[in-house]
Amino acid sequence: MEWVIFGVLAFWLLVSVLGAVLVKNPVHSILFFLSSVLAMAGLFLSLGAELLAGLQIIIYAVAIVVFYVLVITTIPWEKVKRFEGVYKKELLFGIPVVLVIFLLMGSMVLRGRFAQPVGVVEDNVREVGRTLFTSYLFPFEVASVILLVAMIGAILLGRKEE
Amino acid sequence: MSEFVVSLVITLIKIGVLLGVALGLGAYLTWVERKLAGHIQARLGPTVVGPFGLLQPLADGLKLMTKESIIPKGADVPVYYLAIMMAVAPAILLFSVIPFGPEFRILGYEIKPIISDVNIGLLVVFAMGSLAVYGTIFSGWASNSKYAFIGSLRKAAVIIAYEVVLGFSVLGVILLAGTMSTTGIVEAQMERGVWFIFYQPVAFILYLFCMLAESGRVPFDIQEAEAELVTGYNVEYGGMRFGALPLAEWYLNTVALSAIAVVLFFGGWSGPNILGPISPYFWFLAKTFGLVFFVLWLHWTLPRFQAKDVTEIAWKIMLPLALANVLITAVVVYIFGGAG
Repeated sequence: MEWVIFGVLAFWLLVSVLGAVLVKNPVHSILFFLSSVLAMAGLFLSLGAELLAGLQIIIYAVAIVVFYVLVITTIPWEKVKRFEGVYKKELLFGIPVVLVIFLLMGSMVLRGRFAQPVGVVEDNVREVGRTLFTSYLFPFEVASVILLVAMIGAILLGRKEE
Repeated sequence: MSEFVVSLVITLIKIGVLLGVALGLGAYLTWVERKLAGHIQARLGPTVVGPFGLLQPLADGLKLMTKESIIPKGADVPVYYLAIMMAVAPAILLFSVIPFGPEFRILGYEIKPIISDVNIGLLVVFAMGSLAVYGTIFSGWASNSKYAFIGSLRKAAVIIAYEVVLGFSVLGVILLAGTMSTTGIVEAQMERGVWFIFYQPVAFILYLFCMLAESGRVPFDIQEAEAELVTGYNVEYGGMRFGALPLAEWYLNTVALSAIAVVLFFGGWSGPNILGPISPYFWFLAKTFGLVFFVLWLHWTLPRFQAKDVTEIAWKIMLPLALANVLITAVVVYIFGGAG
């Protein structure tokens, strides 16, 4: 039964990712991207990572994508119309890179072992919190300082010149 | 396997009941709101269709459904239709984590009157509340109209600002209860015998403001300022497609967020046992609709803020207040020991 749910979600994810890459209209593309983020949240949920699913929706699907959406929807539409077709040169450089990465990942999947969950996690939130504030305290604090610096920078940039 | 089938059937029944009740309720709230607005403004409100105008929502629905559908020129048709779904779906999904009462048993099966009792219940509330922003943005964008688009951008700015404040205002309650599950929060309040509004009055006021802003109610309804923007983002929609947008925003969102407020601050279904087995449901619904009534009352008495003030209030006054509240609560919980 779990395979059916996983299959549906994975299919949804793949279709939306392909759509995000292949569709020409930027607004449709961002909609496909949004749908792929939601499918990802569904996958997390089906794997029992509830906290991750919730954060995926709140942070990726809303906080980040909404700013893409705000920027894209306010582009003057004449500029969008002027751009036709795909980036040919970029595609030429991109395909080898994608191929190499695909081969690497393929060999990793074939040769490696899959991670097995150790024990059952009762409360997602508690476990993630404990890990963050014990094993990963230093990276966590560094990340918060970086974010603080970025925030101060954004406030400086957005300030009105007197 | 049979246990799985049983739980599936029970869940489907719960979803069906909730969907029917929520949508019917949304329709009838229009009647309540019009009656209330009428009496606040010394009018009578709807009186013609049926006794006390009780059949008015049905007449409205019929009218909306039989109207000619007009799609504006230059509109992006798939996005234009998708935007309605993106507005309505999160509003309905908000109801999935609301616990209406304690567990009970029928035919030997335990039934919880909540669709999904996940331990991230409150995160789901924030997620769905903020996902609603896409319905607004895309409905404004897809209609290819400047009024609609300005309205949708204003609303987006409001939702982003107030969603942040909402998250921080509720953190105090989570600290006290020690869980994010909505059922767990109600049980924590019943164990202590105190509603969290007495511990977290600041948080409740902040939550109330955010609730008004998210559901587009006065005094934060700048996105539909009738005098400047006609009605904002839904101006190019007609028929039932128009009807769905206010239904989601003004009615479903208001009811769902009021119910969450009852869960967080007013002890959920707790109350004296006056009606036997249905008394928890009675208390839950009574508290919820008391709050909905309060919101409607505000809507028809207050003037609205200016567009630039609304976001300034959120970022400069409410967010620092919410952060201070979280800090003080955390220190107090640490010293006196809240939930483990």
